Amino acid sequence: MISSLLLKEWLKLKWFFFAVLLLNLGACTSIFFDIRQQIHAEHAEMVWYQAIHIKTIMYDDIRFFPLFAGLTLALSQFIPEMQGRRMRIALHLPTGRNRMLLLCLLTGMFLYSVVCLLDGGSVYLIQRLYFPQEVALSSISTMAPWFIAGLLAYFCTITVLLETTWSRRIFLFMAFSVLVAMLYQGSGYGWFIPALGFLSLLIPLGLLCVFESGRRFQQLGA
Amino acid sequence: MMSRLLPVVSHTSIIILAVLAMSYSLPAGFDKVFGQQIGNPLLFFSPLQKRFIYRESLGGHRFNYLNEEGVRFDRPEFEAQLPFLYYKNLEKKNMLPVTVQGRVFNKQAIKADKQGLEIKSRHLDGHHVQVELYPLFNNDPEVAIMPFPEDVFRFTDQTMEFINADFNRVEQELTDRFTSALRENGFDFPATVIGGKTTNLKPFDEGYFIRDNRGQVFHLKRVLNEPVVVKTPIDPGLDILDIILSENRRKEFYGTIITRQGEIYLISYDNYRLISLPVEQYRPAAMDFKLMINPLFKTAVTSNTVSVYGAATDGSFAPLRSFELVRRDPNPRIIRISRDLLFPFQIRFTNPHREQADLQLQPGGLWSVVGILIATGLLLLHSRKKGQGAPAIGELALVLVTGLYGLLAITFVARV
Repeated sequence: MISSLLLKEWLKLKWFFFAVLLLNLGACTSIFFDIRQQIHAEHAEMVWYQAIHIKTIMYDDIRFFPLFAGLTLALSQFIPEMQGRRMRIALHLPTGRNRMLLLCLLTGMFLYSVVCLLDGGSVYLIQRLYFPQEVALSSISTMAPWFIAGLLAYFCTITVLLETTWSRRIFLFMAFSVLVAMLYQGSGYGWFIPALGFLSLLIPLGLLCVFESGRRFQQLGA
Repeated sequence: MMSRLLPVVSHTSIIILAVLAMSYSLPAGFDKVFGQQIGNPLLFFSPLQKRFIYRESLGGHRFNYLNEEGVRFDRPEFEAQLPFLYYKNLEKKNMLPVTVQGRVFNKQAIKADKQGLEIKSRHLDGHHVQVELYPLFNNDPEVAIMPFPEDVFRFTDQTMEFINADFNRVEQELTDRFTSALRENGFDFPATVIGGKTTNLKPFDEGYFIRDNRGQVFHLKRVLNEPVVVKTPIDPGLDILDIILSENRRKEFYGTIITRQGEIYLISYDNYRLISLPVEQYRPAAMDFKLMINPLFKTAVTSNTVSVYGAATDGSFAPLRSFELVRRDPNPRIIRISRDLLFPFQIRFTNPHREQADLQLQPGGLWSVVGILIATGLLLLHSRKKGQGAPAIGELALVLVTGLYGLLAITFVARV
């Protein structure tokens, strides 16, 4: 049963996942060439000065890519389920609603993690190639809120899609949009470091929201 | 057990996220629509009046020009009271040279003995994220402009390490030379405070002041690529928060030492003697500092969100006069009360004294209690209207703690 469910999710997601992966790979490649060109065109020490003391984020182009990845995965995974209310069929499987939802979410989260690993790993390695270790490490803490934003957007999109009433959908959409926008505050590297612990709490809270909408979908809408 | 708990936990999660989102965005939105912001007041010591004089913003291009006794001026009169500050305007009006305390000052004399420095709280060590890699400029008397060095340095537990930017690797020879020079002068690794100006937009370079593991402060420069290290007589017992250098042609002091206790010292060129500034109210965590020097007086100005404090001293930093200017709140009372009524608290990440996120839960004023009671009353009415009788304990508790936020959350995402 579990493997069948996972296969179903994979079949829905695979082309969108590869498209998102390719897009992120393209963004990382572009960042690599941009930094390489800048290092070659200007004096390296001036580029270091910009990165360290002016706090220019050399990989800023990738800022919204994790968000886009989270939204794409959520939409590609759950829009087909909402069309013709196909989700009802899955809810009648002997697996149980919450377990089934958890499996769907774990699939999406796993694929989202692959995208984040690609982005985080690539940016770190590109930075490490041209900058000292400290600068490369700072990219991870700088990108962490962007990764959280993408994951939160993933959970929130599913929660809104599963909702049964428009008033509730609109309210949740607005509330979640505010939370996602909140994660893009600040400037320079590592701005959110002192609040990363608090921001991480948004992930389990966002995950749990999906189960409330799932319950309502089955009990009120299915 | 889990299946019974999950609906409660997941519903609570939605409520928590909704309250978080509202408490973050609604007060900020209210401020954007109804709040008024005005510029900071400018406080100076007038060498003619021998008292403080200030410009207070009323919003837009409207200003009050007053002295500490409330005497009003128009703008030209105000500028005339500060000849060392507005000397260029006075020159255009043929009001220079000016005579102050029996001495005559022309433009050149004013310019030559004038200096200003400003230290924002958000730029202090620990108030912003900083990758600890610094350029050490090479002092070469035969080079007119100050080129950026091709390397940066970092302090490790045992060394002062240089990293070459062209090859992104450690320069071992330079590292050994500077580390040895520091050790020979008694430097105890690692460094605990590193203070220097990392830009070449300065008239000359004084390198870095570095506090070692035992609290000793060393002055380090790079002259013709060789280390020049001076162990300063600065008291190792000082609990230094930050050292800010400010190279200036007057060459009176290298820069400023700020301690965690809020003391401010200037490091003089006279064998690193410390000059204490009279800034009793200064709290580095939440106050900015300004020092204005003119040919006759030196004025230290510290400010927070409530007040601006001025301390005027004579040429040798002996205190003359001090003054506290309470800032004007531009928001009408009705706006302040409405804000408190609506929003019992606010979540924010920004802090004017930090250049990094500073998560704060800011409670509203006394009117917030009234706001919470109104929200609770509305909840009771709403429940009665729906024929439910008393609201659930959880909902009541939520509104009693979060006021309007909880009421909105219950209204839109009720547990159905």
